Parts: sequence; C-alpha cells; structure tokens
Amino acid sequence: MAATATRRLTRRKRAILALLSAALSAALVAILMVRQDAAPDIGKAFPAGEIVVGVDASFPPFALDDGRTVRGLDIDIARAIAAELGIPVRFENIGFYALYDALISGRVDLLISALRIDRARMDDVRYTQPYFDNGLVVVTPADAAETDIELLANERIAFEYASAADAQVSGWQEEGRAIVRLPYEMPEYALDALQLGLADAAIVDATTLRLYQREQRDWNAKFEYITSDPYAIAARIDRKDAWQLVDNALSALKERGELAKIFDKWL
Amino acid sequence: MSLIKLKRKLLADWTRRRPVVAVLLMALGALAIALISPRPADDLVPLGEQRTVETAKPRVCVHTMLENEVHEAKIKRSLELTRELGAATIVQFFPWAYAEAEEGRYDWTFADRIARHAKRQGIGIIARLGLVPAWARPSDSSAPPTTLNFLPEESFADFARYAAAFAGRYADAIDGLIIWNEPNLSFEWGFRPVDPAAYARLLQASYPRIKAANPALQVLAGALAPTQEQAGSSAGLNEFDYLRAMYQAGAGAYFDALAIHTYGYHDHPAAQPNPERLNFRRAELLREIMLEHGDEDKPAFITEFGWNDHPRWSGAVRPSQRSAYTVQAFEYAEQHWDWAKNLCLWALRFPADILSYPDNFTLISADFTLKPIYYALQDYARGWARSEETWLPPPRAG
Repeated sequence: MAATATRRLTRRKRAILALLSAALSAALVAILMVRQDAAPDIGKAFPAGEIVVGVDASFPPFALDDGRTVRGLDIDIARAIAAELGIPVRFENIGFYALYDALISGRVDLLISALRIDRARMDDVRYTQPYFDNGLVVVTPADAAETDIELLANERIAFEYASAADAQVSGWQEEGRAIVRLPYEMPEYALDALQLGLADAAIVDATTLRLYQREQRDWNAKFEYITSDPYAIAARIDRKDAWQLVDNALSALKERGELAKIFDKWL
Repeated sequence: MSLIKLKRKLLADWTRRRPVVAVLLMALGALAIALISPRPADDLVPLGEQRTVETAKPRVCVHTMLENEVHEAKIKRSLELTRELGAATIVQFFPWAYAEAEEGRYDWTFADRIARHAKRQGIGIIARLGLVPAWARPSDSSAPPTTLNFLPEESFADFARYAAAFAGRYADAIDGLIIWNEPNLSFEWGFRPVDPAAYARLLQASYPRIKAANPALQVLAGALAPTQEQAGSSAGLNEFDYLRAMYQAGAGAYFDALAIHTYGYHDHPAAQPNPERLNFRRAELLREIMLEHGDEDKPAFITEFGWNDHPRWSGAVRPSQRSAYTVQAFEYAEQHWDWAKNLCLWALRFPADILSYPDNFTLISADFTLKPIYYALQDYARGWARSEETWLPPPRAG
C-alpha cells in the first residue's frame, strides 16, 4: 500500500516536472525569440558582407540608369540604409517583371524600387514600413476655403485625361456628384489650370505635385490625400533579420530627418 | 421467448449491426450536407448563347490573362468584353505547371473553362505554353531554387508530351500554339544564359508530337522579346541575333510561324525601324531575317505589342498618346504588314492589379472599369466613327 502511494507520488512528481520543464522550454524559446527581434544579426542578414539591392532603374526620379550608373531617390535611400548598417551596397538593375523572382531566388537581398505594397505577395516577401505615399492628392489654392472631398459639388476639377485621377473623378460622377470635368493631356496642365484660376481644384499624384512645385516655387497651394499608395522596401519572407535591420534603419533615417533630405533632393 | 431473452437478442443484433447502421447514417448525413450546401459558383455560370464577333478588323487580337482568374464569371465577362471590343482572337497562356502538377496526371479544369467560354463567344485562341512543374525541374535542395521558367533539357520530352496532349484536346478551340515565351531573355529562360540552340532543340522535340496530335494547328516559335542585349549579357540576347542562331541550329524546320513581341515605347507607330531602337516597326527587321532564311511563305503573329501610359515609367507615353498610337499601329499594319496574321495587344485585363507600370498596359482595369483606350480601339475594330479627342487644349492665362 505504502509502495503504491510512493509510486503515485513519483508519477505526480514526474508529471509536475514534465510540466515545469515544458513551461521552462517555452519561456526559453520566447526569450530567444524576443532577443532575436531585439538584436537581428547583420552577419546572418547579409552573409555576403554586402547588401545587393534589386532595382528597376526605369522610374525617374526614384531610379534611373544614365548608361554609366544607377541613381535616384531609391538609390540614395539604399545607400543611406547601407551606411546606417555599416556595410557596402551593390545594385542590380532588373526589369519589374523579374524583380520579385530575383528576390525569391536569392539573387538580390532587397528590393528598393518604388514598390507598392502588394498583399498578394506577402506569403513570399515582407515589406518594411512605407517610406513614401504616392496617392492621389486634391490640390487647391492656399487661400481657398477648406476642401471637403465628400462635398465636392459643381467644382471645376482639372486632371489628366485617362489617368488614375480621371478614373477617380469618373467614379465620383457615377456616384451622382455634380462635377465640372476639366481633362487635360498632361497632369502639369491640370495644375497650370488651377494656378491660372481656370479650375477650383486639381487632382494629381503626390510625385507630380512635388515635381511641379519644385518648378513653381512662388505658387502657394495646399493639398489633401484622397487615396493612399505607399511605397516600401521588400525582403524575402525568411530573411527576417534583413527586414528588421532595414526597417530599423529606415526609422532612424526618418527620425534624424535624413529621409526628408533625400526627398527634398529629388522631389 | 422470455422478455429477458428478447432483450438480449435485440441487444446482440444491435451490436452486430451497429457498424452498418453507422455507415448508413454517415452516408445519409453526407447526402443531406451535399443537398443543402451552396454549389460552387462555377456551376452557376451559364455559357450563354452562341455568339459571333462582330468586327471590321479581324486581325485585331488581345492578349488575355485568364490563367490566374479564380472566378469563372470573370473569365466569361472578360471574353464578352473581348467580343464587344471587336477582337476575334486572343493570345492566352496555358501553364504546364497548372495542367500537370503531378507527373502524368492531367487536370484540364482551368483550361477547359477558358476554352469553352472563348468558343461560346466566338473567339479563337492562340495558346502560349510554358511554366514548368516542380517535378520537371532540378530537385537539388542544396542548390538555389529554380524559377518556374527553368526547363532543363532532360524535361524537353515531357514538355513536348504536354504540348501534344494540349493540342489534341483543344483541337476545336485553338488556332495556334506558341512554344515558350521570350526565350531570348534570361529571366524567361529560368535566369540562365539564353541558349538559341537549346530552344531549337525544344522546338524539334515538340513540333512532331504536336503535329501528330493536331496536324492543322500552327506551331509558333519564339515570341521573341524586343531587347538590345548583346552576346554575353546576363540579361539576354537581342532578338535578331537570337533568331539567326535559331535558324543556324536548324529551328526553321520546326515552326509554322514566328511569334513577335514589338512594343512602341516612346516612338510613333510609323517611326523607322532601327536595330538600335526599341519601337513598333522593329518587327520588320525580324521579318527580314525570316526572308533571308527562305521563310517568306511563313507568316508572323504579333503576339504582344502596345504602349504604356504609366506616369513615372521611363518607357511610357501619356494616356492620350497611347490611345492614338495604338489605333495608328493597327492602321499601319493593315496597310504595310500583309505577313502579320494577327496583332495582339498586351493586355486586355489583369485578374488583380500588379501595382506597377504593367497595369498601364491594360484596356480594362482589374475591377472591370473600361479605360478610354478600350473605347478608342472598339471604334476602330468595329468600324464605328471615331470619337472626337476628349481632352482640353493646354490652359493659357486670360
């Protein structure tokens, strides 16, 4: 009887020990995971000792190939990230259709190429925080009354014919909003029309507006985003260290205002 | 029989028959679930009545992207819009990896859907084959993964078997079969150096088997991409050197027509062809190489062409130019290219946005919004009066 009780006690002890060791293992794994998140390893992230960036250098001012080298806003961002991480960077100029394959097959470490976040690719790639939003903006003169997009009615809206802005305005008209359409052959003409008082508002993408304002520094206008089109950097889904390091570097560049300086240089 | 004996007998019978009853109940349950469950949407998409394409320009063709379309209703809608556009032919990709994911076991579900809806809309198909199933690619786990465009030479015979099976099955739906896509680009050749002689061997392996399965079918070679890459480039090889090398390797005996891709980029469609420049009439230079090799009786098909109107891409024009150039390109070919059987515009619509400049090649957006260029092309194809230009002159002060 006493022997049976001892055996039962031993079994209970074993069970408790097993539970304790399982809990301890789980805690260790959790601690290791947290530590891994906190301190991604640069050697593991970029084992070749350099960052190879895939870029489609056919998107000025984000990236362009002048025949000798690639340059542009994305190139400067890649260089700033590499400097932040203290390792060299190399660029592979790859057409858009092959970009993601190049990343997945390991030919490049990152894609920095005016990439719009694509949820359909998230099984294969991990995107960083956005570094730019190229959504459509509605632009009005700086002294205009507050623009309420929901209430646009009988406004003369200028935009580029057959562009994303045109589709947006057409959508509003289908919803029944009374809008006076002013389609132009170029988005810059739409902004010209606004500046000349021929339109009450213009709709263009954020890049077009910034480029236009560089040339028209005396013109005061205000804008409001009506769609969002964020650009981000992509890393392969299994290269978590690389993604984490780059995302951290982006945060640091944003905080120190260096990212804004790069944008001011190109846009 | 006493009550106790009866009870025991019933219990014994129940114990013996319990498995049978359980199976019967399960079957009844499954039947009930099948009856009350909603049927897959595909079964609910009627083919509709037999239609014909009303067109004034039978050479107008569009490249569709129906292979990744999940919903059959969207396949049908895309093909209805193709018919309404006035396009009597489509180029459509039929990935080998979809049809034979498991070696020797064909699943024609997706191809059947496309073929039956195209046929019902009165649209002919030029089928493009490619995309290699995992089992037909190298399986060395220590090596970097291969892409879906990687076709090792030892799998040429398997590809040829698939191509022949496809040609036979869709004999009443397809007019042409393109072997591979843009083999002169490294990316399309599995990120390997391009190899025109190997491509010629792929044609040699495929052509006789396709012809045995469907003698009337036209086998199209190439779908050569316009590129200025020179020998030794890691990106590919220009289409002129590639085609010459194909002929040198004996490919001429193994295709009935050449498939050509010719994009306009910045140039007007009538701009002079020039090996140093990518433009629409560059296709004429490939035609000259065909003539040099005695292939004047073989036609060509422009299986991809078009202009792009992305606001940032360096290869794009403005949307207004894109509409005008596209129609003018068809008109140019009508007058000067009797050797081009079809001109297939890239692309009708993508199942989902690609989220970069390729979206600006389409006529219809992913949500089925018809772009202004769709209407411009429809006016041309249907022989309708051309719409007036629909943009304002540049604004001026005062």
